[in-house]
Amino acid sequence: MAYSEFWNPKNETLPREELQALQLLKLRRLCEWAYATTPFHQRKFDEAGFKPEQLKTLDDIRRIPFMTREEWMESLMEKPLFGDLLATDPVNAIRYHLTSGTSGRTPIRVLDSMKDWDWINEMWCYGLWGFGIRPEDTVYFAFGYGSFIGFWGAHYACEKIGALVIPGGAQTTEARIKQIIEMGATTVCSTPTYALHMWQKAREMGIDLAREGNVNKVILSGEPAGSIPAVKQQLEQAWGAKCGDTAGMTEVGTIMIFECAHQSGGTHIIEDHYIEEVLNPASDEPVGYNELGERVVTSFGRGFIPVIRYRTKDMVMKVPASTCTCGRTWDMYSGGIRGRWDDMKLIRGTNVYPRAVEAIIREYVAIDEFQIYVWRKDDIQDEIDIKLEIKPGHESEWPELQHKLAKDLANAHEGLRFNIVRMEYGNLPHFELKAKRLVDARPVAKY
Amino acid sequence: MTTTNTDLLGKPLTEQERELLNVYEALKKLAAQSDLPPCAARNVRKALMSMWQATNDLDLQFEQLYEFGV
Repeated sequence: MAYSEFWNPKNETLPREELQALQLLKLRRLCEWAYATTPFHQRKFDEAGFKPEQLKTLDDIRRIPFMTREEWMESLMEKPLFGDLLATDPVNAIRYHLTSGTSGRTPIRVLDSMKDWDWINEMWCYGLWGFGIRPEDTVYFAFGYGSFIGFWGAHYACEKIGALVIPGGAQTTEARIKQIIEMGATTVCSTPTYALHMWQKAREMGIDLAREGNVNKVILSGEPAGSIPAVKQQLEQAWGAKCGDTAGMTEVGTIMIFECAHQSGGTHIIEDHYIEEVLNPASDEPVGYNELGERVVTSFGRGFIPVIRYRTKDMVMKVPASTCTCGRTWDMYSGGIRGRWDDMKLIRGTNVYPRAVEAIIREYVAIDEFQIYVWRKDDIQDEIDIKLEIKPGHESEWPELQHKLAKDLANAHEGLRFNIVRMEYGNLPHFELKAKRLVDARPVAKY
Repeated sequence: MTTTNTDLLGKPLTEQERELLNVYEALKKLAAQSDLPPCAARNVRKALMSMWQATNDLDLQFEQLYEFGV
């Protein structure tokens, strides 16, 4: 059967001046909605002297105050569980998800209504269809299906597309590999790290995925590695399949960018549903094409928690739509998400803020000094070690402390495994000023 | 039936777009009825949620639906 190459041919090829007119109209309505319904935005708009009717051109977006993760956290700490960011009664929600917070154990919590949740899946439809997923595909999700939003939206998107969905769920890697082969999966959705791990495990099982499997597409998300050429090449050879990068965030609920089947080295921005600004993080001034800057996102999707000019701290480089031969008029990020402007670390798809880790560690009086050590195992898997020294006189607490700290950290980070390593007293650097307790020993990505 | 003749960008609606918008508006009317049996009330909302995506993607409307619990 012949299909359109685009999920939404009308908007994916809309001339840019019309696209910008659409964005302006949606931006004005979104701000009106947020101001009328959401105390958080009312307060911020009033403090900044901004009124939605001031939006006459798209450049007027700069009149709108930024929204930060820190403000979001402050709001929900002051008014648990959701702060004053909800635009409607929680009774309208059908879905709850969370992402790890910037401080201590408090996560960022989000709610979605039926329409919002379906919109989340709709954004995945743009990306998955764009990379070539069709009703004839069998899509395997190597995903744990917890409170972390991860591939939830992609799962429902594949159902909407009409593909056969196989939820991997809580199984061993061996069982997942067997299922991928047995069911003849044509597509696998995974983080880059786990896709490499599955390939390695398959080799140990005597299975050559590239020869014995039917997989011709791997959809990657959760880590920047999906757009790092060396990692991508390794994955494509390992699986004998095309690998397509996507990137999303819990704060908007879904993906904002996706790589299309033409694989031009970048990811298209879904510009009829988002405004993505790229700013100099020091001056807050917009940067041009081919310059590195910070992603600032405005989402026209989830109305439950309006996200307007949200500073993501993601490092990106915007390039014009013409960089790709697919015909979309949507601008792109060359190399996807390239890194961070802050100290957040992405470990196997989970956001880890050093200050949040420290807040939990400091609850343990037996711990003296510590170091957060991030490294890569076998060139494949990112690991996070907490190296720590026990205060003299507290040594007997170590066995229980090791177990309990690992559990506390995992609970605050969507189940992520932290390796707790005891060091001899005096082996870690001790600080009086400007402590540097984070060491990232992973190789630097080359684009 | 929709009384709108243009999309959000002011372009005339195609026949297909008009039909999609008509279905969307009809579902909103149904969702506003308080005496539908649960099997109808909830499935109308599911249908409305889906039609919101199609009509929103095609620039036919941009509005919220929380008053219907959608």
